[in-house]
Amino acid sequence: MSPRVQRIIGFVAFAGFVAFVAVLPSFVSDFKAREYSYVAIYLIALLGLNILTGYTGQISLGHGAFMAIGGYTTAILMAGNEQFGGPISGGMKDLWTLPIAGLVAGLAGLAFGFPALRLSGLYLALATFAIAVAMPSTVKRFEEFTGGGTGIQLFGSPELTGTISNVDILGRSLTPNDWMYYLAWSIAIVAFAVAWLILRGRTGRAFRAVRDSETAAVSSGVSLARYKTLAFGVSAAYAGVAGGLFAIASAFVNPDTFPIALSIFLLVGIVVGGLGGLSGLVFGAIFVYFLPLWAQGADLGSLLPDRIIEETQKPGGPAIVYGIVLILLMFVLPNGVGGLFRRIGQLITSRRYSRSK
Amino acid sequence: MLAAAFSDFMQQVVSGLASGGIYALLALALVIIHRSTGVINFAQGEMALLSTYIAWTLTFNHGWSYWPAFVATLAISFAGGIGIHRVVIRPVERGSLLRIVIVTIGLLVAINGFVVWQWSGEPQQLQSPFGTETYDIGGVVVSAHDIGTIAVAVGIVLLLWGLFQFTKVGLALRATAVNPEEARLVGVRVTWMLALGWGLAALLGAVAGMLTAPTVGLDPNMMAAVLIYAFAAAVLGGVDSPIGAVVGGLLIGVLLNLLSYLSQYGAFDWFTEELRLPMALLVILGVLLVRPQGIFGRPAVKRV
Amino acid sequence: MIARPSVLAAVVGAALVLALPAAFAGSAADPGVGATTIVIGGTSPLTGPAASYASVARGAKAYFDFVNAGGGVAKRKIDYRIVDDAYNPAQTVQAVRRLVEQDRVFAVFNTLGTESNLAVREYLNQVKVPQLFVASGATTWGRDAAKYPWTIGFQPSYAAEGLVYGQHIARTRKKAKVAVLFQNDDYGKDLLASLKLGLGRSGSKVVAAEAYQVTSPDVGSQIAKLKASGANVLCIFATPTFAIQAYVFANRLGWRPLVINNAVSGTSNIMVLASEGGKNKLVEGSITTTVLKDPTDPRWNRDPGMRQYRALLAKYAKGANPNDVYHVYGMAVGYETVGLLRRLGANPNRAALMARARSISSARNPFLLPGVSVKTGKGDSFPIQQGQLQRWTKGRWAPFGGLWTSKRN
Repeated sequence: MSPRVQRIIGFVAFAGFVAFVAVLPSFVSDFKAREYSYVAIYLIALLGLNILTGYTGQISLGHGAFMAIGGYTTAILMAGNEQFGGPISGGMKDLWTLPIAGLVAGLAGLAFGFPALRLSGLYLALATFAIAVAMPSTVKRFEEFTGGGTGIQLFGSPELTGTISNVDILGRSLTPNDWMYYLAWSIAIVAFAVAWLILRGRTGRAFRAVRDSETAAVSSGVSLARYKTLAFGVSAAYAGVAGGLFAIASAFVNPDTFPIALSIFLLVGIVVGGLGGLSGLVFGAIFVYFLPLWAQGADLGSLLPDRIIEETQKPGGPAIVYGIVLILLMFVLPNGVGGLFRRIGQLITSRRYSRSK
Repeated sequence: MLAAAFSDFMQQVVSGLASGGIYALLALALVIIHRSTGVINFAQGEMALLSTYIAWTLTFNHGWSYWPAFVATLAISFAGGIGIHRVVIRPVERGSLLRIVIVTIGLLVAINGFVVWQWSGEPQQLQSPFGTETYDIGGVVVSAHDIGTIAVAVGIVLLLWGLFQFTKVGLALRATAVNPEEARLVGVRVTWMLALGWGLAALLGAVAGMLTAPTVGLDPNMMAAVLIYAFAAAVLGGVDSPIGAVVGGLLIGVLLNLLSYLSQYGAFDWFTEELRLPMALLVILGVLLVRPQGIFGRPAVKRV
Repeated sequence: MIARPSVLAAVVGAALVLALPAAFAGSAADPGVGATTIVIGGTSPLTGPAASYASVARGAKAYFDFVNAGGGVAKRKIDYRIVDDAYNPAQTVQAVRRLVEQDRVFAVFNTLGTESNLAVREYLNQVKVPQLFVASGATTWGRDAAKYPWTIGFQPSYAAEGLVYGQHIARTRKKAKVAVLFQNDDYGKDLLASLKLGLGRSGSKVVAAEAYQVTSPDVGSQIAKLKASGANVLCIFATPTFAIQAYVFANRLGWRPLVINNAVSGTSNIMVLASEGGKNKLVEGSITTTVLKDPTDPRWNRDPGMRQYRALLAKYAKGANPNDVYHVYGMAVGYETVGLLRRLGANPNRAALMARARSISSARNPFLLPGVSVKTGKGDSFPIQQGQLQRWTKGRWAPFGGLWTSKRN
């Protein structure tokens, strides 16, 4: 199949996906729209993590911390921290905080990426793990700046677009949940496009060279320091934007909004989704958001017999299901669901074109 | 005044050694597994938790007395560790690092979930076999439990050292850790050695858990922080060095308590208790950035 | 990345997966009030650092099941949905939104935890959903009732409780040095502030106060610091896991202060755990306050309320430990809720629920101590403002001093 035909199919499929996303809220309940906006938020974070881990091979168990930086940037810019004794007066509209959230998180990523150059594989994973675990406590320590354990309440504040009443935009009146959905998905699609642009070019090739063999990359003239650090910065920026959106969607942040579990589940999301492709990442985002809920029997209630639901709904049951599913997925789909899709895709196309040489 | 300060100080050192002993045991478990199978076992803490709950249920629900339950728990944990290695780890051992990490994370989540599911999240009490008495040694009050903990930790480390240095099995284990291919060539049953490593690690974790529970209370969250301190200890000492794990554990235990003690004095009053965990994490970060192989480790040589 | 057929497969896959839950989306019904059911929901720490409190929801559910077995309220069965928030306010926010917007509950009921309730108070008041009988004693529930009319508490306020402790110390000890272990959130700080008020200018004062986070692994170093202050009274303003630890650590350090344990951890099941099988003598003489009847107190062996408690628990909460006092709290609040719903009659609505909740006058709750009344009215937003001081003596709580009453709102 010629690259040009592949490219066209790719664009068509992508356009189809965008159309699907645009139309979905009309078919599902209002609350579901809010849930799907979280899928978009996780997708943005996963896009970033994918650039780091899928493309330059640096494992991060700490992206929840970058989300926290973005989330708190947004919350503090909106609500200010003067009420805790801090210097910022707030009052910024939620949308405008997002680029700043991305920027601040991105800078943090660069700042970390530089010393992290010395670490690889396991050690990097441990270092990022340490950051993610330390983040909630550190946030609590600097109460005057962050509001400490009580967190920052955003619901009902004038800076938040869409709390209870409808949002009027482009001639249509959207419920707050639908507004959140479109906001999150628009940004997710833009984020994807940006990632695609970054990765198809020279930068992407450099990233892949770093992942495949650092020594070979260096000997081909690829600057390790520059690209590894850049990858960290970019992926952190993505996580920051995701974190800011998360703060807006939940209208509340506190140190435990972004716990170590989040960082772990993000990594799980890209591995399960399959490193590399967009399709896998969408699935990864769905997995991160929905599996814990499905494990609790929510939404799937009528599919499974009552006895099983009862046992799995006992506290702890959902976790057992989640853990086992995770392990089984790693056995059965080592390349994640994205890898599975790729193989299905190859099967479909190769059968049709196997004759053409 | 000075005497009171000194005895407080010594008290902190002793309890720091006790908690450090626990970190050392768990760190040792992490190091053994990493040395033999190259895996960082994120589920080590939860495995220890499960072992502790088994000990608890034997004594509380089935009326066993402490030491028989202790021994039974060790045996079950050992078998469990081997079982987990063969069933869950072996299929993915040779795969990518990411895959193994995710599998141990899955184990962590599933085991913790099982504990909550089986025994609920409510706190329980596992009593210390050493009792609740305190002894006054030269003005310093130390608890029987802390002394017992230090004794057990030291004893087990010595036993393990003896195993590695003086027995055939120990030799085989060391050989497997250094070079599995060559070990196989000289007749070592490598897969069993790897499983044995996991069994030993599970055993160490069980002891660590049973020593922790009487102090902080037995509940599903018990081992989460201990695991992190154990990571710090393992990194500090060198993730492939058993001596490093022990030294690292004791250092971290004492260091954190010292910081706590010193925080009442002006120069250190920035150290609030919230910073205890981040401090340990700072140790991890600091060591990784300055000397990744830790105190006793050897620098890693990368294959091209 | 795009240029592969996998995206096609993924679009189809994603469509299936995304649409699947949609197929189960509930229909938009009246909020919570159906023909045969009335749906209420709340979060409870089923897992996490405060899992001891899961029994509260269990007790309430048992009581509702009992009422349902008898036909329910105005021919409607109470459908009580309990969601786990692991005592983490970030999870509470998500869970409560789900309860309101997807489960469409009539009211959010007995959500547990001061911080958890604070996190959702703004939202619930704006969407005008009752935040009924919050399981927390924070002063703000009463103090800010005008600003947040949809929120109401249940248990005595921490302001009242701390005051009582302070006054007790001032009365019984000359120049006591008080050390305080408190949870670093509004609940802990509330108790600390009112303790200081209660101590007033008596000569006894707080010489050391150490905070801990809910996510802390243990409070060993806090206790060590508190001991180093030379205090002879220790106030534990902590949730059960940490309260038990406080006893264990203090005992290990050889410290023997008078201990005051706050009501939310001062239940006999927790004290038994803290006594380490009887070996920890520090528990002897501890003081707390309560409004609940204690299932292990022989005084209530023939009490009809406690008999009912045991029967309901055995029948509707199989495997639940009847000595766990938190079940009693759950039943007490369940009892009041049913009374409230009954007064609403055949066509309940949310505004009426809150109006009635602010005018309760109930004096015979079978699960509360005799003499304790549940009362709200103009200027009085705390349903329960009384308590009974008691002292832990030989493995049991022994009351002293009669019921205290607080005038504070």
